[in-house]
Amino acid sequence: MLRLGDPSRRINVALVVMAFVLSLFAGRLVQLQGLDSRSFQAKAAQQRVQPETLPARRGSITDVNGHELALTSEAREIYLDPHEVRVSQRDLIATTLAAELGRPKEEIAAKLAQADKRYLVVAKDVDPLRARKIMGLGFRGVGSKATYRRLYPGGTLAGGLVGFVGDEGFGLEGLEQAYNKLLAGQDGQQSIEIGRDGQRIPMTRSTRVAPVPGRELRLTIDRYIQWAAQQAIAKQVKATGARSGSVIVMDTRTGQIIAMANAPEVDLRSWQKVTAEQRGNRAAAEVFEPGSTNKVITAAAALEAGVVAPGTIFRVPDNIQCADRTLRDAHPHPPEQMTYAEILGESSNVGTILAGQKITNQRLYDMFRSFGFGAKSGGALPGEEAGLLPKWQDWSGSQRCTIMYGQGISVTALQLASVYQTIANGGVRIAPSIVAGTTDQHDRLTPAAPGKPTRVISALTARQLTAMLEGAVSGQDGTGNAAAIDGYRVAGKTGTAMRYDQKCAGYCGYTATFVGFTPAEAPRLMALAVIQDPKKDHYGGTIAAPVFKDVMTFALKTKKIPPTGSTSVLP
Amino acid sequence: MIPVSAVPRRRSLASRAVGEGSALRRMDGILLVAVAALCVIGTMLVWSSTRTWASVEPTGLVKKHVLNLGIGSALLSAVALVDPHRLRAYAPVVYAVAMLALIVVVTPIGTTVNGSHSWIMLGGGFAMQPSELAKPALILLLAMLLAEPAEGTDRPKTLDIMFGLAAAGLAMALVMLQPDLGTTMVLSVITGGVLIFSGVRKRWIGLVLAAAVIGAGLVWSLGLLQPYQVARFTAFLNPASDPRGVGYNSTQALIAIGSGEVYGKGLFHGGQTTGRFVPEQHTDFIFTVAGEEFGFLGAATVIALLGVVLLRGLRIARACEDRFGALVAGGVVCWFAFQMFINVGMTIGIMPITGLPLPFVSYGGTATFANMIGIGFLQAIHIRERSYMG
Repeated sequence: MLRLGDPSRRINVALVVMAFVLSLFAGRLVQLQGLDSRSFQAKAAQQRVQPETLPARRGSITDVNGHELALTSEAREIYLDPHEVRVSQRDLIATTLAAELGRPKEEIAAKLAQADKRYLVVAKDVDPLRARKIMGLGFRGVGSKATYRRLYPGGTLAGGLVGFVGDEGFGLEGLEQAYNKLLAGQDGQQSIEIGRDGQRIPMTRSTRVAPVPGRELRLTIDRYIQWAAQQAIAKQVKATGARSGSVIVMDTRTGQIIAMANAPEVDLRSWQKVTAEQRGNRAAAEVFEPGSTNKVITAAAALEAGVVAPGTIFRVPDNIQCADRTLRDAHPHPPEQMTYAEILGESSNVGTILAGQKITNQRLYDMFRSFGFGAKSGGALPGEEAGLLPKWQDWSGSQRCTIMYGQGISVTALQLASVYQTIANGGVRIAPSIVAGTTDQHDRLTPAAPGKPTRVISALTARQLTAMLEGAVSGQDGTGNAAAIDGYRVAGKTGTAMRYDQKCAGYCGYTATFVGFTPAEAPRLMALAVIQDPKKDHYGGTIAAPVFKDVMTFALKTKKIPPTGSTSVLP
Repeated sequence: MIPVSAVPRRRSLASRAVGEGSALRRMDGILLVAVAALCVIGTMLVWSSTRTWASVEPTGLVKKHVLNLGIGSALLSAVALVDPHRLRAYAPVVYAVAMLALIVVVTPIGTTVNGSHSWIMLGGGFAMQPSELAKPALILLLAMLLAEPAEGTDRPKTLDIMFGLAAAGLAMALVMLQPDLGTTMVLSVITGGVLIFSGVRKRWIGLVLAAAVIGAGLVWSLGLLQPYQVARFTAFLNPASDPRGVGYNSTQALIAIGSGEVYGKGLFHGGQTTGRFVPEQHTDFIFTVAGEEFGFLGAATVIALLGVVLLRGLRIARACEDRFGALVAGGVVCWFAFQMFINVGMTIGIMPITGLPLPFVSYGGTATFANMIGIGFLQAIHIRERSYMG
């Protein structure tokens, strides 16, 4: 028998070596699959799992009756995966897509040539039917992705107020911006596992969090009255060669805004072409010196203080010295005996100063504040400004007087409208509101909280002011005769203010205003028309009052407010 | 006239093969079970890693693999039935045929696959890789040469050692022409292993080692390596150097194995495997499928089964009274051990990337046949040893 002494020992050594290597492997496996497995898991998931955003459908913006001012519809994004496109098909694809999508063929051909790219967008907001037709052609490397597009069927209808959504899906202006979060909803997420070749890995789980659609925003706007207001102001702005204009119509009993029109109005279907300064909602964002429409506040303060009554007689010259300045009435006249009602009706600056001097600066200031000047209206309107109301301690000598007739302070149209809403509503101010409520995906309406009521003046003062304002429209020498509406009693006030212009660093041009409400005996609606920097004519009574009349006449009909006769029972 | 009873009844081939006391029944059962288990696991892993291929139907490759295993099992049984003495007698012929095939491969008859000119296309979708068959052929020849001790000693004759080294050198040179670095390394390990087990003096071992080191140095400094091979070593030393290029395989292998955790993601549920992030996953990187889909338990089981194969092989070598048999068994163990260590080692990031399949687990045709022939050698030696004792 042959014994392999030495070799046998070598076999034993080999055995030890092999056992050592195998246990080394086992140890390494413990390290990889036990100790470090989490980090490998994470790396694997990062490589494989592709999160994809499922866009939420944006809520509509509708008028008070549910008619859509802004809506979202399904669309498709057509994209290319040039890496997958067969070279032989490039030309055919470029030609076909160019014809279907109305894009230049060269542009598509250039994208197809980038063979290292995996995702190039050819067109967004493509109609789903057209996309289906394109996909039906079965080109490899041409894809369609479900998206949404924002549509504004009304075009310019409430354009400045509604605002618009930018290309990235965020609201950029107006209510679209202010209520973006509510409208946008919550995007969902889906993650699928993608293999190295870009294909979905079979038999892998996918997680999906469904998107939550945005809520619908229902406005207090009535689209018919809104349209009429837009037409009326646009026509007058054009006729007078004015820079711009706004109209506000409000329900006097609720503070709800029924129309908020601007001229020029933003065309939401081509908002990209509108310059930045033209995009806002002027009615709430533009500040100006209100002029004579402000005299009601001076009157309110004086009446509330009990220092004057509508029948108090003043001897009114056509000018008055106030500190360092001589302030005048609009037209020269010999000194006249006038009641306070006549002073307001004929809009005498001097008479207003005579009455206003009977009260302290602080009292006057407090009244301005109570009517909402110097602060935002409280209705959360997009882009709203607070205006400029200096503290009474800071008033200069003549400023005290000019403020009484609305120069030397600045307000927005909305703030001014709120003043007349307060008077019309028996002295109770209701914060203006634009949102009627929000609707969820099941069409359940959650009404918005009603505007906050605050009593500003007594019911008696309100009645007295209403009568005085009615005189301004129906009185023989009233400045607002052009606002009279057959069959209805109208209370209102004209305003013709010097307009501050940054460009000429002083007063250049005018601001013409008319603001009023009807029926005077039981007010329902108020309307305001303001025209900035008109070139032909500039009196509120002649150019703004007709706009008020047009819009209010239409609003009365639309709201089916019955006529009650146009004669005042008051003297 | 010869009485009928005096002539031993010739038993049929079938009954000799599987009947009572037959050769097959005397095989090493544990070794067979371990190999069979590895083949079954390998089949599942091949299926899992190839079923998502776009170019073939889901079961296309796994069917072919099962066919290869069937042919391999037949080869195993056939070789196991051969008397080792006969193996020894035919060793020069087998070696010559293998070398001839290697020469044919480097002629235009051979075909290049994956940058290696190592295939002969047989038609009908079948192909052969002669370098795989060179492994068992070299083992037989070396064992034959070194089994004969010099007169009065336990050690092989110097001349025989020289012949053996020359034969091994020829095989390696032919394989390097393809070029196939991995197989060349396997052949050198086989040569070294048989030499060591044959009882040569330590100075011979030192000499061969020195030659190997000098040879490797020469290959490196003369730039005989392909740039990708150099890059593989660089990437092994610093995997972060090129994570998207050469380091990619290694990084992906680790991610696949590591993400399998203890219990694995389940057969067909490995995202890294199904997503085909690891290249060559049905062949060189098959172990990563085990790691991802069967987890630590599965991967450790594969390593344990490989250990059983090596252990039984060494046991057979040690138990063998016949020097030739012992050397063949030792050579086969060195072959399998080296391939297993390199293959598993590279997938778990402790060896450089080398294109070597994992025996019994990886997809392969000629490689599977060669591996089964290797097991056939072990079984033949085992059976003969038992029959001597019995």
